[in-house]
Order: sequence, then structure tokens, then C-alpha cells
Amino acid sequence: MLSLQHISKYYQVSGLKNFVLNDLSLEIDEGEFVSIMGPSGSGKSSLLNIIGMLDEPSEGYHYFAGQAVHQLKEKQRSALYKQYVGFVFQAYHLIDELTVYENIETPLIYQDFKGSERKAMVADILDRFNIVGKKDLFPAQLSGGQQQLVGIARALIAKPKLLLADEPTGNLNSKQGEEIMELFRKLNKEDGVTIIQVTHSEKNAEYGSRIINLLDGKIESSKQL
Amino acid sequence: MIGNYFKTTLRSLLKNRAYSFLNIAGLATGIACASLIFLWVQDELTFNHNFEKRNNLYTIYENQTYDGKMSTFIATPGPMAKALKMEIPEIKAIARTAGSDQLLFSLDEKAITEDGSYADPEIFSMLKLSFINGDISNVFKELHSVVINATMAKKFFGTADAVGKTLKINNEQEYTVTGVFNDLPKNSTFQFQWLAPIANIDHKFPWMQEWGANWAHTYVELIPSANVTGVNKKLQHYLTSKNSGTKTECFLFGMNDWNLHNNFTNGKMDGGRIEYVRLFSIIGFIILIIACINFMNLSTARSEKRAKEVGVRKVMGAGKGKLIAQFIGEAIVMSFIAVFIAVGFIYITLPAFNNLVQKELFIDVFEPVHLIYLLLIGAVTGLLAGSYPAFYLSSFNPITVLKSMKLPAGAGFIREGLVVIQFSISIILIVSTIIIYQQIQHVKNRDLGYNKSNLIYVTTQGKLTDHFENVYQQLKQSRVVENASLSDFPVIQVWKNTDNYSWTGKAPTQNPLISFENVSPQFVRTMGMKLASGRDFYTNSTLDSNSVIINEAMAKQMGKQGRVGGIIRDVGKKEFEIAGIVKDFLYNDMYAVSTPLVLYNKIIGTNVLSIRIKSNVNLSEALAKIGAVMKVNNPAYPFEYKFMDDDFDRLFKTEALTGKLAGVFASLAILISCLGLFGLAAYTAERRIKEIGIRKVLGASVAGLTGLLSKDFLKLVGISCLIAFPIAWWALSKWLQNYQYRITVNWMVFAAAGILAMLIALATVSFQAIKAALSNPVNSLRNE
Repeated sequence: MLSLQHISKYYQVSGLKNFVLNDLSLEIDEGEFVSIMGPSGSGKSSLLNIIGMLDEPSEGYHYFAGQAVHQLKEKQRSALYKQYVGFVFQAYHLIDELTVYENIETPLIYQDFKGSERKAMVADILDRFNIVGKKDLFPAQLSGGQQQLVGIARALIAKPKLLLADEPTGNLNSKQGEEIMELFRKLNKEDGVTIIQVTHSEKNAEYGSRIINLLDGKIESSKQL
Repeated sequence: MIGNYFKTTLRSLLKNRAYSFLNIAGLATGIACASLIFLWVQDELTFNHNFEKRNNLYTIYENQTYDGKMSTFIATPGPMAKALKMEIPEIKAIARTAGSDQLLFSLDEKAITEDGSYADPEIFSMLKLSFINGDISNVFKELHSVVINATMAKKFFGTADAVGKTLKINNEQEYTVTGVFNDLPKNSTFQFQWLAPIANIDHKFPWMQEWGANWAHTYVELIPSANVTGVNKKLQHYLTSKNSGTKTECFLFGMNDWNLHNNFTNGKMDGGRIEYVRLFSIIGFIILIIACINFMNLSTARSEKRAKEVGVRKVMGAGKGKLIAQFIGEAIVMSFIAVFIAVGFIYITLPAFNNLVQKELFIDVFEPVHLIYLLLIGAVTGLLAGSYPAFYLSSFNPITVLKSMKLPAGAGFIREGLVVIQFSISIILIVSTIIIYQQIQHVKNRDLGYNKSNLIYVTTQGKLTDHFENVYQQLKQSRVVENASLSDFPVIQVWKNTDNYSWTGKAPTQNPLISFENVSPQFVRTMGMKLASGRDFYTNSTLDSNSVIINEAMAKQMGKQGRVGGIIRDVGKKEFEIAGIVKDFLYNDMYAVSTPLVLYNKIIGTNVLSIRIKSNVNLSEALAKIGAVMKVNNPAYPFEYKFMDDDFDRLFKTEALTGKLAGVFASLAILISCLGLFGLAAYTAERRIKEIGIRKVLGASVAGLTGLLSKDFLKLVGISCLIAFPIAWWALSKWLQNYQYRITVNWMVFAAAGILAMLIALATVSFQAIKAALSNPVNSLRNE
């Protein structure tokens, strides 16, 4: 599905290159469930952002769904991103002024779905996630676990092939975290969504099919489960 | 999608009430204020638009040359109209009016003074005056006929038909009402309540037939295809052909220019009200821009809170274009809410504003022009105010804002720049207000050469002048009157003038315009004028009929003959001896120096009775006693008096209005700017809350922290001063050039304005600063 070759990301600080990712190469196939682990500052999030095309590497080649991302223009990249990728955050990042329903609907609006289609799709996912009863509440009225559920529903609404999750359970208690992980596993197994998650938790990492350990911007080890 | 934006906007407005209030209130105030100004401008620009033929209507003006300088006058010779109509084929119609007159109309017991003119009947078709009643082609068939407007008809005849009824004019002659016309709108030059045939005057005053006397206003309607330059060429030396030896030139002054371009310098059109229209339009736009700047400032200052939303939306696939559209859309929604509130403000404040500008402005949201204007101003304000925040907000990088919640630097500089612009404008307006006020006070406190307080005057009608001696004695006996006198005009104006005087030693090139006036012998004493030399008039005017009193300016003109005992000759070579020289006093133009003047000890034709009331008596009692004397001597006339100081104040109407408006706008500009500053200070305090917490833990005092937070804003006000002062100095010096008698611009004014702006800014900012400084550091540090 995607391939990173000799990717580096660095910041120039008073003439010195400060490497976040250092000559990193990685292949991920469709249907995989990859967990990225590593200590703080090892480059996990930067890697995820580059995979998700939110950020550009300083050097290297990036292929996604058969396209050379490093050669694409901003607009094409954005179109590719919209079509393939869904994002889940540690801090949920729901829009406070919108209801659950509207939050989930927003990506569809940006992808120019028609009103009736949007209605059907949102209704469908609300149903699947068992949050129909909460659709008119605002994020502040939900618990953390529920908010993250909405965040995931929102990430999945446009049926992306790839779901990227940056410490999705980081702000949740262990029980809520487990539920989310179960959901990820189900999505991966039943719907065939490719998932890449960044996590600190060994336990959560083991839900995946592969664990990649990062250290100082390089892949230290990679383990197939 | 739009529905989605709309929802987000409204919810975010409701959620951040304080912010929304500051933002919308600022915008609404700005819009309301600008709209009031634009209403005024609209009124000025549509002056005389009720006259359909305005593009072909003209007044004939005269340029007369005195001492090499041209002065422009509206008065023209009486016979001119008839002659022009025959000699210039481009003239379709021509009509005269004999200036404007206040005459007493009475019906039985009811007597009211009304403004109007004697006129040629052609005026009806030229102005397309709309008659409610009466046969327009026949209304002036009889000499003693009069047409009146609807208001006047109602006053005298109520709802009954006025046509055919009679009114007595000046208690002398019965006039038959032959027509009733609709009232003229207030924004038209013509404000007559009645018109009567000018033939009445033609018969009465011989000078109406003379080419050498300027008495009538002459109005011309040209055929639509006429070449105005061509007609002007024919008019230029027209008078010389009738009255050889005159250098006076005539020209057409188009109706479209009457209101706005009525100023003449050396015979050429040179500004006028248009300058005020321009000035106020600019001020209107500036206020709008200040309000928009506020909006930009508050929106970008709050961007920290919205950064997350921008990041999330971008991650969900929103392109920059869509975000820009969203934020501009939000701004437009807010600006329309502001327009809505502004319309309310306008309805509430319009009566007061009308009172201030002495107009009858109105707003009607269903009138297309006003509706389109409101829609337009809503859209433009929204676009203007929303553009910068939209581009700024939509440029955020989602990763940066979602991760660290920190914003890219850069906007701070622009925000500070915007605050500097706001305060510069405010300071300029403050300085202007002070200087305009100083200039008005300067002139008002000027030594006029007479005492204008406790002085009333009455326009005498009927035969009062004939037995003035008697009236004078009765007034004196009333014990409330110090003195009284008759004159041609109220003391602050003299409208009779000529260049026909001569004296020994007068150079052939010397032809100054000299004012002259008939007065009763008590004039100089009643007015409280001082004699520089010589004597006052003898009370028995028959002994003094060959004496004149001149002013110092005249004495200077006359050179060696300008002394007591000097001889001056009038147009008929009749000699007068100078009995006294009165110190210069001001008339007509309070900003200039006195022009030459000759006073005659004659009461023929005088119709202004000035009465000086004793300063130690009760005013209303005094007026009652004077009224009683007048009633006895002039029974048919109502006692209508005017205070000289009111008349005096009225001379400063435009200046006073400019001053008041500058004051109002300065306050509003400051208010709006402070709303913005308040928001900005709140933002800064919020942003630096951690720094404040750390400093407090390290032992900083509340006062020290307040100072720290306020300092930066004061610096901005300081920079504003540096920008504002030179601009204000330049603009006001230019304005003051308009006045011969003027103040010099004092640096103290600038210092005062600067300090005032600083204090206001400090008061606004310190509230937030103190609040931040007082906050508990434990709370602010825990979040990090």
C-alpha cells in the first residue's frame, strides 16, 4: 500500500541538522495493522504525519497507493489524502461547536458528498458505533471514551483505506482503551482497513500484526506477530 | 455546507459571549455612525433634486471688482430679466424674485410672519411647482394675489379651501389667495412659504427699474440644447452695454452647484459645502475602517482558540479555499448581525442627529436605496473585516497547531500595526476637536466692538418708524430698557454697499467696497460701541443730517480726509462732514477684519429696532414690559424678538457643527478602538498567563506585573502620537488658513491629546492587566 524509502526529516538549528527521522525505510501492505512504538522524541508522530501526507519529509521517496507522493503537488496530495486516509488523535480533536452528528458529517462535506448521501452515511456509522442516542450532544457532554469513539467514527466516515491513529488511547482509562483497541481489531479484520497506530502501551501494540520500534529517528526493530 | 458554517458561527458566537459582544458592538457602532454620516451626505448630494429641470436652471451672479479684487453677488438689476429674455435666444424662461422677505400675514385676529418672495410667474413652470389648488396659468393675473404653501394654508384656513380667501399683508393690503402649492422639501434652496407678483415691488420701488441698482435675483431656464459657455460669453459684458462704465460681469450659476459649490474666490467657483461633504464622507469611511480593524484584531487575537478547529478541519480534508470561505462567511454573518443592530441604533439616534445637523433625515429600510446600501455595507464590512483573519487563520499548519497549540509568529506585528492606525486616527480626531473648539471660542470671545449680550431686536413693521421718538420715550419709561435704536440691519450685518463715495485725495485706482447704513442717533450708544475720536450723533437728527460717523477702516481708506471734520461725497456729490470715528466693529464676517463703513443719522427706511435691556432686571419681566410698549404702538403686529447673541451663535453654525461632529466621531473612534484594545489586552494577558505565574512565584508584585503588561500597549499609543501629530498639524493648519482671524496651533493641544489617548488606553488595558496579575499562579501553572 505504501512505501517509504530513505526518508529523513530534520530541522536546521543554527546550521546544525537536527534529525527527527534519519534515513528510514518502511513498507506497509494493505490490510496490515501496524503499531509504532518508541520513547518520546524517537520520531513516531513525525513518521505518522509523513505517512498521512500532513507533513513532507526533508529527503527521501514516498510512494502511496502506487503514486510518488514526493512528486505530487499540494492539491493532488490533498486529493489523495482525502480519498485514502482517516486520522484519529490522542486528544480526539472534535470541533467543540458542532454536535456529534455534525462532527462526523464534516469530512463528507469537504469531499463534496450530497446532502442525502451524507445523511445515510452518518446514520449508518452512528448505528454501527452504537451512538445514535448521542448524535445531538456536543463533545463537552461526552466522556473521553465516547469522544474518541466519535473521533474514530469521523475518521472512518468517508471509508478510508488507511486509518492513522496517534496514541488513540493515550487520554483514556484502560477499560475504554481496550474497547477502542477491540474496535480497531474488528475494523482491520472485518472491513480490511489498514491501520497504523502510534502507542506507548505494549498491551495495545499487541493488537496489531506488526510492531515497529523507533529510536532516534531510525527503526530499531520490527517484529511480526 | 453554508448551513454548517452558519451553525458553527452562531454557536461559537453564543459560546464566546464577551468576544462576540465586543466584536459586534464595535462593528455595529461603526456601521451606525458611518450610516448617519452617509445619510447626511446623501441629503447634501440630492439637494434640489426635487426640481426636475435642475440641469437647465441657473441663477445669474455678478462679479464686481473693488480694489482689483472680484467679489461675487447674487443680486442683479431689476430690468435685466426682461431684456435678457428678448436678447438671448437660448433662454427658455426667466424669472426674478426680490430676495426673501418676512412679511406679516393676518386673518382677523391671527397674525403670523411668513418667509417668501415677490416673484415673476414664470418661476412656477421653471420650478414645476406642484399646485394642490388653483389655476397655475392664472394665479398672478391680479396684482394683489398670493400663492401659499400647504402648511401656511393650514395655519390660516385649516382644512377649508384657501383659494379665493384673502389675507392682509403687513396690515396694509388685502391679497387674494389664488393657489396652494405643496411644501418644498427641506433639502432645497427655495424655502418660500408664499409667492406674490413682483409687479407689487416694481411699482413701489423705483430702483427696480434701474440698471445701476442690484435688487432682484434672476433665475434662468436654458433650452436643453443650449451651450452654457456660449451664453456665459454673451452675459460676461452684458451689463456694460446697459450701464456703460461698469466693469461688473455676469455669469450663470447652475442649480446643481447651488448647494455644494457656493463659495467664490475672486470670481471663480471655489469649493463650499462640498468640502464638508468630502470631509465627512472620509470620516465615515475612516470610522468604518476603524471598526473593521477592530474586528480583524479581535478575530486574529482569538485565533489561538480557533487554531485547533482549523487543524481538525484541515486534517479532515478542508482545503485552504474552503476555510477562507468559511471565515469570511462568518465575518459576513457577524457583520449582518451588526447591520441589524446598527439599524436599531440609527432609528434611536436619528432624532438627536437631526437636531445636531438641523436636517430632517430619515431611514427607511424598505426604500431600495437604503436597503441596497445596508446590504452592501454588510457585505463590504464583512469582506473587509473578515479577509485578513480568514487568510491568517486558514494558513495554519495542522500538525503544528494540533500538536503544540502554538501559533506561528507574525500576526502580532500586524495586530500592533492595526492598533497604531486606530489610535493615530483617534488622536487626529481629538486634536481636531480641540482646535476647532478653540478656534470657535477664539472668534466668539473676540472683541466685537459692541456688546451683544442683553440685546434684542425686532423687525419693525407698519408705521412704527414714523413715531420712533414716542416709542423710544415709552421704552425708556418702562425702566427695563437701557437704550434703543433703529438701524437698517441687526448690528452683526450690513448689506448695503457701494463704491461710489469720493473724497479729496482718492486715487483713481482706489475703489473699495464701502458699506453704509442708516441709523437713529442712539445707535452707537445702544450698541456699546466706542468712539475713537469726534462726537456721537446729535439726538435731534435734523441738526445732524449732513454728518456721518465712519469707522476706523474707512478713516484709513480716506487717508488725510479720514479725520473728524473731513469731507466725504456720495454718488450725487452731496457732501457730508465726518462727525466722529467709531472704533472698528465686526459685521458680516466674524473671521475677517472690519471693512470700511459709513453711518448716516437718518431713520428713513430703517426697520430694525434694537433694544438693550438693563443687565440687572429680570429678563422675562423686561420682555413683557417691552412687549406691552410694542403692542400699544404697533397693535396689529405680534411682538417677535430675537436675541443678538443667538444670531451671533448662528454665524458659527457650520464651524460649530464641524466641531461637534468631530467631537462625536472622536469619542466613537476612541470607544471602538478601546473595545479592540480591551480584547487585545485580554488576549495578551491570557497568552502570558504562564509567564505571569512564574514571575509571581518568583516574587513579582501586582503593580510590577500590571506595568509589565501595560507597557507594550502604551508604546503603541506613543507610536500613534508620532504618526498622528504631523498629520493633524498639517490638516488643521490648512483648515485654519480659511480664516483671517485665527488661533495659532499650540503644541499643548498635541500634548493634551496624546496624554488623553494614553490615559484612555491605560484605563482599558490595566483592567485586564490587573486581573491577570491578581490571578493565582497555582491555577495558571498547573495546566502546563
